[in-house]
Amino acid sequence: LMHTKINHEDSNMNKSDRTPETASVNLGELLARVDNDRELLCDLLSIFKREFPDQLTSLQTAVAGNDAAQAARVSHTLKGMLANLAVTKAAASASRLERLARARENSSLGDALAAFEKDVRGLLPEMESYMAKARP
Amino acid sequence: VRILIADDDALSKRLLEKVLACAGYEVTTVADGLHAVECLSQPDGPRLALLDWMMPELDGPGVCREIRKLREQSYVYMILLTSRESKEDIVAGLESGADDYLVKPFDAEELKARLRTGERILHLEDRLVEAREQMRFKATHDPLTSLWNRGVIMDLLGRELTRSQREHGCTAVLLGDLDHFKSVNDTHGHLVGDQVLREAARRLLLSVRSYDFVGRYGGEEFLIVLNNCRPGSAMARAEEIRKIICTRPVQTDAGLLGITMSLGVLLSSDWGRRPADELLREVDGALYAAKNAGRNRVMQAKPAEPRQRVPAPQPAAERVR
Repeated sequence: LMHTKINHEDSNMNKSDRTPETASVNLGELLARVDNDRELLCDLLSIFKREFPDQLTSLQTAVAGNDAAQAARVSHTLKGMLANLAVTKAAASASRLERLARARENSSLGDALAAFEKDVRGLLPEMESYMAKARP
Repeated sequence: VRILIADDDALSKRLLEKVLACAGYEVTTVADGLHAVECLSQPDGPRLALLDWMMPELDGPGVCREIRKLREQSYVYMILLTSRESKEDIVAGLESGADDYLVKPFDAEELKARLRTGERILHLEDRLVEAREQMRFKATHDPLTSLWNRGVIMDLLGRELTRSQREHGCTAVLLGDLDHFKSVNDTHGHLVGDQVLREAARRLLLSVRSYDFVGRYGGEEFLIVLNNCRPGSAMARAEEIRKIICTRPVQTDAGLLGITMSLGVLLSSDWGRRPADELLREVDGALYAAKNAGRNRVMQAKPAEPRQRVPAPQPAAERVR
């Protein structure tokens, strides 16, 4: 496992990489969660890259179709994924969406979705750049 | 230690899998509640489980409820993973049969500490089960010979007689008594007598099929129940048992001692519907006859011919041993 660990001193993947435009991920928290394991980090980011677009589309469809139950399910899944990757703000937006959907507050779902979309904008490219840096 | 992770979120599942594999667990993963129940219901399935609350098909609390219905299986320690934080949700999760819960995203060290708690509970359960099994064995077996004790062998005989009557089959009931056993005790002492009894019990067990029953009926008396015994072969089997007992002397602290056994035999099919204790009186009579005829032999109890009276057996104290 040791050879896959990220060395903070040498790594080009440092918390100082974060700029205001790409500050979605709390990198310190994420690195602690994977115990600085590059291989695991790459695995998680690939899974996110693969699953996130479909989940987002599914959420948008559910909100457009006033399907609160489906919106609750998908926003719950998104909340879990984002929280695991320390994307704190977007996870909070997904949580709000889930709460509103469970309460069947359909009229508020559109605005909540818009807020969520704003929080995840630029997230995939940001993840891509982390992946490129984390790849052994 | 084997552990099941049930989570439909691939990312969360991968993270858990890695953390637990690095901590030395043997990890199995599934993506829905029904597969979790299937895996945990296996007799050799994992006994530690991390269950996501929300899953397709069956949610985490649903899995807990299903597993808790299975009373015969070993205890499964289940931890719910939840991002629900309300007290009501937590209470509902624990009420479903979960042992603990962890809020997502989890902290790896906290997760491992909670799993260690689970392992302690499972270890405690293993010790309790072991103690219960020891007590069950002691309550059903003779402490000296480890054969069924009198109460259990009588119960087994009763059940077997009922079954053979229902199926129009035949059960052979054998009552065997070691010849001159009192003189072994008187001459060599009770410890040597115990060695003889243990060896006789071992030989009896070797001489029957795995589904026959052998129990210690009294001091040196053994009750043998041969299930589904063909009437034509019962006497031959009793004769085999007699020979196995006397073929070789028994190695004891007092040296080699020769032993023999007298046996009474009864075929349930000859006696119609009679209760077990009545049949035992009859087979006891046949054993008594074998003793009187010179010991180390087998005699069969037959129903009396019409208008013939069978003499009542003598009280035990007056019998020839």
